[in-house]
Amino acid sequence: MLGKGVVGGGGGTKAPKPSFVSYVRPEEIHTNEKEVTEKEVTLHLLPGEQLLCEASTVLKYVQEDSCQHGVYGRLVCTDFKIAFLGDDESALDNDETQFKNKVVGENDITLHCVDQIYGVFDEKKKTLFGQLKKYPEKLIIHCKDLRVFQFCLRYTKEEEVKRIVSGIIHHTQAPKLLKRLFLFSYATAAQNNTVTDPKNHTIMFDTLKDWCWELERTKGNMKYKAVSVNEGYKVCERLPAYFVVPTPLPEENVQRFQGHGIPIWCWSCHNGSALLKMSALPKEQDDGILQIQKSFLDGVYKTIHRPPYEIVKTEDLSSNFLSLQEIQTAYSKFKQLFLIGFPPLPPYCGSDNTATLLFSPSSAYQLPSDNSTEFWDTDIKWFSLLESSSWLDIIRRCLKKAIEITECMEAQNMNVLLLEENASDLCCLISSLVQLMMDPHCRTRIGFQSLIQKEWVMGGHCFLDRCNHLRQNDKEEVPVFLLFLDCVWQLVHQHPPAFEFTETYLTVLSDSLYIPIFSTFFFNSPHQKDTNMGREGQDTQSKPLNLLTVWDWSVQFEPKAQTLLKNPLYVEKPKLDKGQRKGMRFKHQRQLSLPLTQSKSSPKRGFFREETDHLIKNLLGKRISKLINSSDELQDNFREFYDSWHSKPTDYHGLLLPHIEGPEIKVWAQRYLRWIPEAQILGGSRVATMSKLLEMIEEVQSLQEKIDERHHSQQAPQAEAPCLLRNSARLSSLFPFALLQRHSSKPVLPTSGWKALGDEDDLAKREDEFVDLGDV
Amino acid sequence: MWWGGRGQSFNIAPQKEEPEMGSVQESRMPEHRSRQPSSCLASRCLPGEQILAWAPGLRKGLEPELSGTLICTNFRVTFQPCGWQQNEDTPLSSEYDFALVNIGRLEAVSGLSRVQLLRPGSLLKFIPEEIMIHGRDFRLLRVGFEAGGLEPQAFQVTMAIVQARAQSNPAQPYSGITLSKAGQASGSRKPPVPLMETAEDWETERKKQAARGWRVTTVNERFDVATSLPRYFWVPNRILDSEVRRAFGHFHQGRGPRLSWHHPGGSDLLRCGGFYTASDPNKEDIRAVESMLQAGHSDVVLVDTMDELPSLADVQLAHLRLRALCLPDSSVAEDKWLSALEGTRWLDYIRACLRKASDISVLVTSRVRSVILQERGDRDLNGLLSSLVQLLSAPEARTLFGFQSLVQREWVAAGHPFLTRLGGTGASEEAPVFLLFLDCVWQLLQQFPADFEFSEFFLLALHDSVRVPDTLTFLRNTPWERGKQSGQMGLSAPTISGLQDELSHLQELLRKWTPRISPEVHSKKRDPHTILNPTEIVGILKGRAEGDLG
Repeated sequence: MLGKGVVGGGGGTKAPKPSFVSYVRPEEIHTNEKEVTEKEVTLHLLPGEQLLCEASTVLKYVQEDSCQHGVYGRLVCTDFKIAFLGDDESALDNDETQFKNKVVGENDITLHCVDQIYGVFDEKKKTLFGQLKKYPEKLIIHCKDLRVFQFCLRYTKEEEVKRIVSGIIHHTQAPKLLKRLFLFSYATAAQNNTVTDPKNHTIMFDTLKDWCWELERTKGNMKYKAVSVNEGYKVCERLPAYFVVPTPLPEENVQRFQGHGIPIWCWSCHNGSALLKMSALPKEQDDGILQIQKSFLDGVYKTIHRPPYEIVKTEDLSSNFLSLQEIQTAYSKFKQLFLIGFPPLPPYCGSDNTATLLFSPSSAYQLPSDNSTEFWDTDIKWFSLLESSSWLDIIRRCLKKAIEITECMEAQNMNVLLLEENASDLCCLISSLVQLMMDPHCRTRIGFQSLIQKEWVMGGHCFLDRCNHLRQNDKEEVPVFLLFLDCVWQLVHQHPPAFEFTETYLTVLSDSLYIPIFSTFFFNSPHQKDTNMGREGQDTQSKPLNLLTVWDWSVQFEPKAQTLLKNPLYVEKPKLDKGQRKGMRFKHQRQLSLPLTQSKSSPKRGFFREETDHLIKNLLGKRISKLINSSDELQDNFREFYDSWHSKPTDYHGLLLPHIEGPEIKVWAQRYLRWIPEAQILGGSRVATMSKLLEMIEEVQSLQEKIDERHHSQQAPQAEAPCLLRNSARLSSLFPFALLQRHSSKPVLPTSGWKALGDEDDLAKREDEFVDLGDV
Repeated sequence: MWWGGRGQSFNIAPQKEEPEMGSVQESRMPEHRSRQPSSCLASRCLPGEQILAWAPGLRKGLEPELSGTLICTNFRVTFQPCGWQQNEDTPLSSEYDFALVNIGRLEAVSGLSRVQLLRPGSLLKFIPEEIMIHGRDFRLLRVGFEAGGLEPQAFQVTMAIVQARAQSNPAQPYSGITLSKAGQASGSRKPPVPLMETAEDWETERKKQAARGWRVTTVNERFDVATSLPRYFWVPNRILDSEVRRAFGHFHQGRGPRLSWHHPGGSDLLRCGGFYTASDPNKEDIRAVESMLQAGHSDVVLVDTMDELPSLADVQLAHLRLRALCLPDSSVAEDKWLSALEGTRWLDYIRACLRKASDISVLVTSRVRSVILQERGDRDLNGLLSSLVQLLSAPEARTLFGFQSLVQREWVAAGHPFLTRLGGTGASEEAPVFLLFLDCVWQLLQQFPADFEFSEFFLLALHDSVRVPDTLTFLRNTPWERGKQSGQMGLSAPTISGLQDELSHLQELLRKWTPRISPEVHSKKRDPHTILNPTEIVGILKGRAEGDLG
C-alpha cells in the first residue's frame, strides 16, 4: 500500500490499488525466446535422487516489483524436491548470486519444506489434499521458509497436470515411514563421496570424552560426573548414550524410572552453580506408586540439596509457562503475515516465452484474499496484526524466563533445575538461551553448534515430530527450534559484536531444518538415529551409514559464500590475560549481585551520558521498572539484576542480557521478509552500514599488512573479508537474499491526484478555475 | 518510530565566569546557606541567569532515589544531585535540566491523593510533598521534598517555578539571556551556516543550485509584502518586482510562489500559499500569477499539500499520544505496546509524509516536472514536504552543512511559526510539525545510513534544541520577529548554528562510536548524483516493523 506510485491512502483509509503500467522491453523477450528454444535447463539430481513425475509448459509467476510476468518451464517432482526448470535462472548467473545454496536452488522446494498447497479452481482458492476429483488451473505452494510459488497449469497437458499435481500432493502430504526419508537413499548413494570437514570442531556429544571435555571446560567436574549407564540405550531410549549427573547420584537411580526424575546436568556457571534438567515422572493415579515416586524424588533431592551443592530452585516449565499449543498457534498466525502471494493475474494469453503482463485491478480476477492479501494492505494495521499473533510476546517471555534463571545462577548463586514432561522442548530452549547469555563460548560458531548438539540433538528434541517431517501427526508440529532461533536472533540483533555468527547464519540454519540430507534435524532422539543407521548397516552388510551433519557448511555453500556466515565485527576474546580477566569478571559480577552498591560507588554514573547507550539504557531501565512495579509477580531481584546490567557498559565476553521491553523485540526481517520485494530497501538499512564497516576493516588490514611487510615479519594475518558484500555498491537490505528482484524495473508513477497544468492555452482556459479555487 | 528527546539540552554549555547572583536569592535562603554552598549552585549558572529559589529534594521514580537540590532560575528548573561534579569534557548538560518553555505540565502532590495541576499564575493550595515536572520532550522529573522544617522552602521553590513560567512569556522573551555575554560572544563570529538573512546568502545558494532562470528579489526587504516571508527570496528572472508584489497580493498572507529548489535536470520545486479568498484579480494580475506559477515551464504540477497529509490537529494529537506512550509512567503493557504505538497514528503520518515526498521527488527528478506545493498557510507542511523532497533528491542536502542550511532556508527563513507550533504561545495551534519532519528524516537515516553525513545524535541534538531559549532559531514565529529582535539588540542573534561548536565536539565523540566515512571519502566513493530512489523509501516500516528504539 505504501507502494509504487500510489499517492493516495493517507490516514487510515485504504489506498486505491495502483494501476500498474508495464514495461515490455522488446530485447528481453527476444533473448528469452532464444534461450528456451536453444537449451533445455537440465535437472540436477543429487546422489540417490529419483525423478518421480514431471510436467512441461508450466508457467511460473515471477514478480518483479509490481510488474509480473510468467516464465515457461518444466515442473518436476523427485523424491527430494519439487523443482521448476525455467530459464529465469539465467538472470541470476552473474557473480552477485554467489550466495547460492549448492543443494537447494532458487526454484527448488524440498519436499519437507512444503507447508501448504493450494489449487485455484475457477478463480477460487482451495487447500489441496488427498485424492482430487478435479485438477486446478493454478497451483500455489507455500513453503516453510516462507517462499510462495505460483504455477499456472493452463497450458499444460491434462495428463501431465494430473500426474504432477497428485504426485506433489502425495509426496509432500502423505504420511511417510522413517526409512523412506531421502536421508537414507542419499547416504547410501553418497557413501563414498561423503566428505567430512576436518576443520569442523563442533562437539557432537556422542562420546563420553565430549561430555568430560565439557565438564572440564565449565569446571563442573568437581561436583558432576559423566556416566555411561545408558550405553547402547539399555536404560532409556529418550536419553543419549552418555550424559552427566551429580557425582553422588547412584547409577541405579537412573534405571529406576527409565531416566525420569533424574537431575541431568546441562551447564556449570563460573561461580559453581549449575543448570540442571529433569523429565517429570510419569503421572500415576495409584496412591502406592505415587508414594514410591515421592520417596524416590525425596532421595534424589537430598543428594543435590546438601553441600557442596548450591540451593536448588525448581522451574517447572510444563505448568505456568508457555504451552506448546500456544507456540504453534502463535506461529501459524504470525507466518501468515509474510506468506504473501502475488497480486492475481489476469487471464493470460500470449505465445511469448516471457511475457510481461499488463494488468489493472479492475480487469484482474481476484483470489479470495484469505492470506494472499497484498503486503501493503496489511500495512496500516501491521502492528496490531503482529501483536495479535503474540509470537513476539512469546519470544519475550522466553527471553524473560532465561533472564530470571540467569539471575538465580549469577546473582544468587543457586542451582536451577528445569522440569518438563520429557525435558526435550522448552527445556532445550531455555537452557540453551541461558547458556548463550552466560557463556561467551556459546556465542562462537563452534560453541553455538556444540550447544545445539548438546541441548537439542542429544537432549532428545523430537525434530521429526516437531517439524512434522513425516506428516504422521499434525498435532505434534510445534516450531520450538524456530522459536529458539528467533530468540537467538534477538540477541544477535541487539548485541552484534558479541556473536561470531551472523543473522544470515541463523537464517540458513533455519532453512536447513527442511533439507533431508543432514541427519541433524531428522531424528527424534539419538537412539532413533543410531538404531536406524545400525540396521541399515547390517542389512547391506557394510559399514554403517555415514550421515552428513548440517554443521558441515561446505556441503551447502562455497567458501566464499560461507564468509557471510561469519561476523566480521566479532572480536575474539584475548587469550593472554586469561587469569587476570577471570578475576575482573568475577568482581564485576559480584557487583551485579549486589546492585545496591552501585548507587554509592559512583554517583556520576546515573546522571551523565558518558556514552551513547547509557541514556538509552537508563530510559529502558525506567520502562522496565515501571513494568515491574505494575505486576507484583516479578521479584525485585530480577528487576535489579536487569536494570543494573543494562546500566553498565556491555562486556561482550561476559554476561549478555537482551532488552525485552515492548519496542525491543523485533521481527526477524531477514528470515521473514526476504522473499517480499516490497520490503527491501535497496542500498539501505544495516547492510549499508555493514559494507562500509567492512571496507574500513579491509583498509585497516591492508595497512597492517604493509606495516608488517616493512618490518619483515613472516606472515601477515590473512583475514578473509566477505567479498560478496563489496561487489555491489547498492545492496538490498535483505542481502544476501532476494537477489531476484535486483534487475526489476520501477513502475511509472501515476499522475492521478495531481492537478497538472497544461500549456499556456490550457491555462488560459482555466483562468476562472483558478479564481474559483481562491474563492472557495 | 524515533524516540526523540531523550532529555538532554545540548545547548547549556558550562560557563566559567561567575554569574550575578540575584537579590531574590539572597533574601530567600539565608538560613540554609550552610547546607548548600551557593557557590556550588552558582557555578553552573549561565550568564544572566538568576537563581530564584531552591529546596533540597529527593529525585524519585527511578532507582536509586537521589538526594540533591531543586533549583528554579529565571529560565530553567534544574535538579542537582549531591556530589554532582561538572564534567568538563562534555558539553552536555545534566538530564535534569528543564528550560521553562520545556515544562509541559507541573503537578504538586501531597499525600496519596492530593494533586494540584499548576498552571502559570495559579496559587499553590498546600505544602507539596512532591513535585512532578513533565517535559515536552518526553521527560518526567519527580522530586520529593524533605520534611522537618524545610516545608517553606518546598513551597517557595514550587511557587517560584509557577511564577517563572508565567513570566517567561514569549512577549518579553529571554532578554536577559540574549543580552548576555554568551549571546555577544556567539554573535561576533561568522555563522557557520548561511542564515539566509542577506541577499548574498540567497545569491550564493542560487548559484550553487545553478538556478539560472531565477533571481533574488528584494521586494520584501522591509517585510511589507509579507512579514512571514524572508527579506529575500527567489523569483523567475523575467518577472519584475512590481509583478511580484502584484501577484503575491492574491495569495494567503502574501505568500506567493517562490522557488524552493532547482533540480539540475531543469525542473523546479516551488511553494506558495493558498489563493487569497477576498481578492479580485484583474487580467494583469492573473497573468502575473500565472507566469509566477509556471516560471517558464510549459508543464507544471500543482500539488495540494494538505491532501492526504494529517492536519495540524492530527499531528498534535498523535504527538501527545506518542508522548504519553513513551513516558516512564505510561500504563501500556509491553505486549500491547505495538498496537498502542499504532494507535497513536504518529507512524502513519510519517508514512504519509514520506510517501507524498517520494512521489513528488519522482516527478521532479526522473520525470523532470516542475512542482508547486500549495498549502493554505505555506508555513507548515509545505516546508516539511519541500525539505523531504530535497533530502530525497539532492545528495548535498544530506550533508551536515546542507541539512542545516536546508532547515535554515525552508523552515526558519520561510517563516515556520516555531513558537506557536511548539506551544510557546498558548494551547491553540500547537502542532510539532518540525518534530514530525525530524522523525521523517530519522526514518530515512535508518533506512539509508550510508547516505547521510549526519547521525541520529545530530537529529537528537536538533530536536532538543528547539526548546532551548538561548537560540533565536526556533523561538520566533516569523523572520520579521527574528530580525526585529536581533536588530534591537544590535547583534546578530545566536541561531541554530550556534550549535555548531558543540556539535563539532559531539561529532568528534560520535565518530568514535559510529564509524562513518568522511564527506571526502563519501563523495569519492559514490556517484554524487545518487538519488535515493523513492520507491525504496516506501519500505518504511516493515523492515523495522517493530517501532525502532533507535
